[in-house]
Amino acid sequence: MQKKLEVLGMVCPFPLIEAQQAIEELNSGDELVVEFDCTQGTESIPRWAAEAGHTVTEFEQTDEAAWTITIQKK
Amino acid sequence: MIYMIITGLLCGALLGFVMQRGRFCLTGGFRDMYLAKDNRMFYALLIAIAVQSVGVFLLIDLGVFEYSAGALPILSVIVGSFIFGIGIILAGGCATGTWYRAGEGLIGSWIALAGYMLMSTMMRTGVFGPLNQQMQTSSVLPTNSIAETFGINHWFIIIPFVAVVLFIIYKQLTKPKVAIPKLKAKRTGLSHLLFEKRWHPFVTATLIGIIALIAWPLSAATGRVFGLGITTPSANILQYLTTGDQRFLNWGVFLVVGIFSGSLIAAKASKEFRFRMPDVKTGINSFIGGNLMGFGATLAGGCSIGNGLVMTAMMTWQGWIGLVFMILGTWTASYFVFVRPRQKAKAAKLKQEVTTA
Repeated sequence: MQKKLEVLGMVCPFPLIEAQQAIEELNSGDELVVEFDCTQGTESIPRWAAEAGHTVTEFEQTDEAAWTITIQKK
Repeated sequence: MIYMIITGLLCGALLGFVMQRGRFCLTGGFRDMYLAKDNRMFYALLIAIAVQSVGVFLLIDLGVFEYSAGALPILSVIVGSFIFGIGIILAGGCATGTWYRAGEGLIGSWIALAGYMLMSTMMRTGVFGPLNQQMQTSSVLPTNSIAETFGINHWFIIIPFVAVVLFIIYKQLTKPKVAIPKLKAKRTGLSHLLFEKRWHPFVTATLIGIIALIAWPLSAATGRVFGLGITTPSANILQYLTTGDQRFLNWGVFLVVGIFSGSLIAAKASKEFRFRMPDVKTGINSFIGGNLMGFGATLAGGCSIGNGLVMTAMMTWQGWIGLVFMILGTWTASYFVFVRPRQKAKAAKLKQEVTTA
């Protein structure tokens, strides 16, 4: 299953907090796609994912100041 | 005047560039010490303090300029720093952070900046001037310099501090690492390094320490014997714009304008600039936060840069006490802004599950 989380317009640390909350409701192996435009999130979101043991399957800049990251729950 | 404009803008632009690319966010750093039990950004700040401290005291010992920390208005430092800490959580960035995020095109930071400049001016030459004066002159301790209080040479403080910082770096760098996923590289060479690659916070911090050090002789040459400073110059801009009085133009004014420009250049070049409008709640919080920042930083005689980075490096009570209360302020605000709403939402959800079950 894949869930999409759009947090465009949210400033740090809310994209990260939203992602942390959203992933809690997923089952192991499910994917969470986060679309964000908060620059500092390019540091905090992948770092949190890696440290929490989840797998990042995709991480890309999609536009001027817009990014997408796909996190697979451990 | 020309010298002041060029060196101020250059120094600021360098700082803005490094902060934008290095994602140097003290507000986030202080907040995450509490929310995520993550001290990395705090350690990075200590590195920047150490680099600057060694450099500035060498320059002072060599007689390049003279500096006296003066007296310590302890009450206003404590109260001001705490309020400033609350303000930066609401505004989503400290004073410098707000300047460089404004350069990334975040309208929320423009709003915070407006509140910050307005309140800093009101605290100086406006209606709150007398209140500020009164707070500044009540409960003043005679010495601000830590070394002076103990009657020892400043190196007896700096060298142990540097040793502690080196030990922390060693501990952090030898910790088992998790691989942090990176963005796919689309550029190569210098362009990749400057505009794409993730910078290690400790590298960013070292660069910031060096910039903070260079700021001292550059600024001193214009008669302003201090390092990086944000709050006074931010007020000075508004004072200059509204009175047209050139006395308000100083090295610091060009420094903060430079921070904005440097960040704008970095964000543009790395495709990270876009005007972003916040929602109503974030906008209001930004304005309130900006005002609290201006009020607190003026009272405390410095923000997270003036007190947290510069006065700490000068080994003053004002810097370190200010830093501690600033951090306590961010933790207090973090509890109300991030922790409590989450607990409430969880409790509400549990209740709902029980009733539907």
